[in-house]
Amino acid sequence: MTMSMQPYGIQSMLKEGYRHLSGLDEAVIKNIEACKELSTITRTSLGPNGMNKMVINHLDKLFVTNDAATIVNELEIQHPAAKILVLAAKAQQEEIGDGANLTISFAGELLQNAEELIRMGLHPSEIICGYNKAIIKVVEVLEQLVESGSETMDVRSKDEVVSRMRAAVASKQFGQEEIICSLVADACIQVCPKNPTNFNVDNVRVAKLLGGGLHNSCIVRGMVLKSDAVGSIKRMEKAKVAVFAGGVDTTATETKGTVLIHSAEQLENYAKTEEAKVEELIKAVAESGAKVIVSGGSVGEMALHFCERYKIMVLKISSKFELRRFCRAAGAVAHLKLSRPSPDDLGYVDSISVEEIGGVTVTIARNEQGGNSISTVVLRGSTDSILDDLERAVDDGVNTYKAMCRDSRIVPGAAATEIELAQRLKEYANAETGLDKYAISKYAESFEFVPKTLADNAGLNAMEIIASLYTGHGSGNTKLGIDLEEGACKDVSETKVWDLFATKLFALKYASDAACTVLRVDQIIMAKQAGGPRRDAAAAAGAGAEED
Amino acid sequence: RRKALNLFFVDSDLSSSKMSVRVLNPNAEVLNKTAALHMTINAAKGLQDVLKSNLGPKGTIKMLVGGSGDIKLTKDGNTLLKEMQIQNPTAIMIARTAVAQDDISGDGTTSTVIFIGELMKQSERCIDEGMHPRVLVDGFEIAKRATLQFLDTFKTPVVMGDEPDKEILKMVARTTLRTKLYEGLADQLTDIVVNSVLCIRKPEEPIDLFMVEIMHMRHKFDVDTRLVEGLVLDHGSRHPDMKRRAENCHILTCNVSLEYEKSEINAGFFYSNAEQREAMVTAERRSVDERVKKIIELKNKVCAGNDNSFVIINQKGIDPPSLDLLAREGIIALRRAKRRNMERLVLACGGEAVNSVDDLTPDSLGWAGLVYEHVLGEEKYTFVEQVKNPHSCTILIKGPNDHTIAQIKDAVRDGLRSVKNTLEDECVVLGAGAFEVAARQHLINEVKKTVKGRAQLGVEAFANALLVVPKTLAENAGLDTQDVIISLTSEHDKGNVVGVSLVDGEPIDPQLAGIFDNYSVKRQLINSGPVIASQLLLVDEVIRAGRNMRKPT
Repeated sequence: MTMSMQPYGIQSMLKEGYRHLSGLDEAVIKNIEACKELSTITRTSLGPNGMNKMVINHLDKLFVTNDAATIVNELEIQHPAAKILVLAAKAQQEEIGDGANLTISFAGELLQNAEELIRMGLHPSEIICGYNKAIIKVVEVLEQLVESGSETMDVRSKDEVVSRMRAAVASKQFGQEEIICSLVADACIQVCPKNPTNFNVDNVRVAKLLGGGLHNSCIVRGMVLKSDAVGSIKRMEKAKVAVFAGGVDTTATETKGTVLIHSAEQLENYAKTEEAKVEELIKAVAESGAKVIVSGGSVGEMALHFCERYKIMVLKISSKFELRRFCRAAGAVAHLKLSRPSPDDLGYVDSISVEEIGGVTVTIARNEQGGNSISTVVLRGSTDSILDDLERAVDDGVNTYKAMCRDSRIVPGAAATEIELAQRLKEYANAETGLDKYAISKYAESFEFVPKTLADNAGLNAMEIIASLYTGHGSGNTKLGIDLEEGACKDVSETKVWDLFATKLFALKYASDAACTVLRVDQIIMAKQAGGPRRDAAAAAGAGAEED
Repeated sequence: RRKALNLFFVDSDLSSSKMSVRVLNPNAEVLNKTAALHMTINAAKGLQDVLKSNLGPKGTIKMLVGGSGDIKLTKDGNTLLKEMQIQNPTAIMIARTAVAQDDISGDGTTSTVIFIGELMKQSERCIDEGMHPRVLVDGFEIAKRATLQFLDTFKTPVVMGDEPDKEILKMVARTTLRTKLYEGLADQLTDIVVNSVLCIRKPEEPIDLFMVEIMHMRHKFDVDTRLVEGLVLDHGSRHPDMKRRAENCHILTCNVSLEYEKSEINAGFFYSNAEQREAMVTAERRSVDERVKKIIELKNKVCAGNDNSFVIINQKGIDPPSLDLLAREGIIALRRAKRRNMERLVLACGGEAVNSVDDLTPDSLGWAGLVYEHVLGEEKYTFVEQVKNPHSCTILIKGPNDHTIAQIKDAVRDGLRSVKNTLEDECVVLGAGAFEVAARQHLINEVKKTVKGRAQLGVEAFANALLVVPKTLAENAGLDTQDVIISLTSEHDKGNVVGVSLVDGEPIDPQLAGIFDNYSVKRQLINSGPVIASQLLLVDEVIRAGRNMRKPT
């Protein structure tokens, strides 16, 4: 009954259900442990021989993938510290589109090593200081490791593109990288604009069609729409295209209209004038030379009838974004209302036809000649999850292409860069005086997890590999990496495993940023979990945004 | 439902007072006398403990996890107090003072909380020795007035004429920013913050910080944050064929509806054949089309014979048919701009905001050298840059994730305030704990002697409480607090005004190190701290009706 003893400290001041964690043991170490857990999950998926994960998300959707970005996205991480790593991975995914796994795993490794330092008695702020020095040095060394001659590249040369893309794609689809790379490279080169830095990943589309196998996949110069034509005309060659964003139908006023009819004749006449009006419009379109009408909205029965009569093929694309892409593919200018289009506004396609692939009716619009800005990769596979995984590999490839258009510099892959960085950093640490030294050398050690994981995942003896890598690098061979097929160390210029400089740079920077952020936090105040279906609401909001 | 009563002269009989409330409300809980006092003191100390580690450039970061799992990282006392939902009545009172501190001066929240905490702590010692709270309170009042007077003699005046001393502004901004962000980023933001305030500053007019737009993009790294001389809008054109980039642009800032609006009354069309309907369709749009045509006429007037571009930024909507007409003329049109952005645009680009298209003249147009759109995922941003002598600008914050951006945003806001304060105060105060130590020496050596009676102890408690700032600064930097305080006070006794260096704990001259605090921040701190502490000390009874004050266990 008495309240003489109030609980002391912050806990007494917070609302019910709030949690407060502070200090080294409670906050920092716990945070590190959570991050470690996360990185152990993603780590086994690193590299070409990485294992797949089966993730079933809150909507009971099954994902079979080794793409770290997808895994962490679907895992719905709750722990705040682990979430920081996830955010870093997301930033990497948005910025470059590849290397999310490296970001998380490396940050996890950095934190694990930081924990050892903390247990040794170092203060987190000293570790942060050391890590910051290390990342500055890493950026410096990384720039020295850039393969000479790679600063300039011909983004339209397929060989050069494939050589830079291979490592990124191989880490997702090992063994099939040749097929995918060549598909992606073709698709990208085709849509690459005059100024390669303006390359837009949106211009490479992916159409997933169930059935067949990867070998049946192909590239379509143009668009593949998963829908049927509206009318009965299913094929058109060398046709001009008119695009109407507002739909093909009779016009209507914004204000509600009422038809005023006094007699039976008027009723008859009304229908006739209506008909005449639509015919007039469709005729105007037909006279302008257009043989295909693409509508963004509904297609009226009567309009369709006249289109058939004037031998015009009608397509309906209800998504606004898809319609814009179609405009780009055909080089057309969209009109809002059904009216006579000027010749400049008409687009052109070589062929447009409705086909059936694997039981799905698709409309394929091709544009073989130049001036085309959209290409589609048609992926074939036996199950949905395989298709999804292939799509992610293609996305990574396309993103890599975008990254290389901006910065074509490459560094040796297959863990060669990591070992070289580790080696140089260790030298740097030894030259350093003060407590930073320990943190920097731990940072260097963290790099070892890359060759270790690559070797582990491939079933090789990690320690042997690392030792021989160090020996090789010590004797000056900066390009010595692991050849996973032979299980030995080999010069990467022979195995041709190259990583993009930008991918690596951003991944390492984001990782150490995230690690330092986690280390900086010494108190956590957690609110009570809000109830209700959060995720669904967020998803619905996202869908709403898509609809514009 | 909570009540902290400021009753002092109440019947001292414990049971009877308890009884009287019980009679009124059987569920009420009562805390009496010492228990009440200790509760408030404990709460103040508890809050101090939480915020203590935030103070100063070496303070640590707190992570706040919201109900929906969203993360916020902060070092800012104000943010922390806002996000942390405090329930204890005493803590709420202190938190409110801190929030008031932020409203007035934009900084010093953490200092306020720890200063109040320390005042309570010092008082606790005296009260335990049997002193009456009222005497302490009297002492506080004397000490407060003396300290404020001392502050006016201690401050360093700065002349802020037409050409303010940029260096001193930078030092003040840097001092504030470094307490919120890590050093490298803080130094970079210092220039941005100072330049932006100087950009919007107009002689003879109060500074309106809203004229600095703070825009954020989730992109690249935190060090890519920059100052845009011009404006960044967080939306783009809504037409696929509009230009994405234009140079030498005339800018029309307007608030004119360019979309069809339904009439208020319930109207309907009656027609009996399709032709009539077509006529209605055109008639319906005529008024909107005419407005668009007027704009196009103006465009043709100013852009004839040169390759200048024309940009419309409208506060109201522009519907697709109008957008289409404008796009065909090569005009870039943005719709639904923020009201504040309309003000900023006029300041940045010149011209004037028009509310009607009837009397458009080329004089009402603004000018920008470059307008372009930047797309980030699904977000679109429009940059209006290369403007002539702007009076509005944008701080573009970049960062890889939302919590970094939020952290920078809070810091930038505080930085802007500190620069504004300096410009308005026309003076600064030496930082790094120098003022606190000097004020304490002044109180102990001069003021205390002039006070008669037991109030002396109150002055002493106040003086000692001031030391909490340098103490905490040193503690957070991992230094020995006692050593630091002793070396500081002995330097001050020699007549040297010094602060503490957080690198090695040695005394430094804040003037040389460039550590300056805002005068108004310190003033507000000294004003509000003792007031709230006195109020809390004079509470002798806490009555709470309804639920239990503690959590049910």
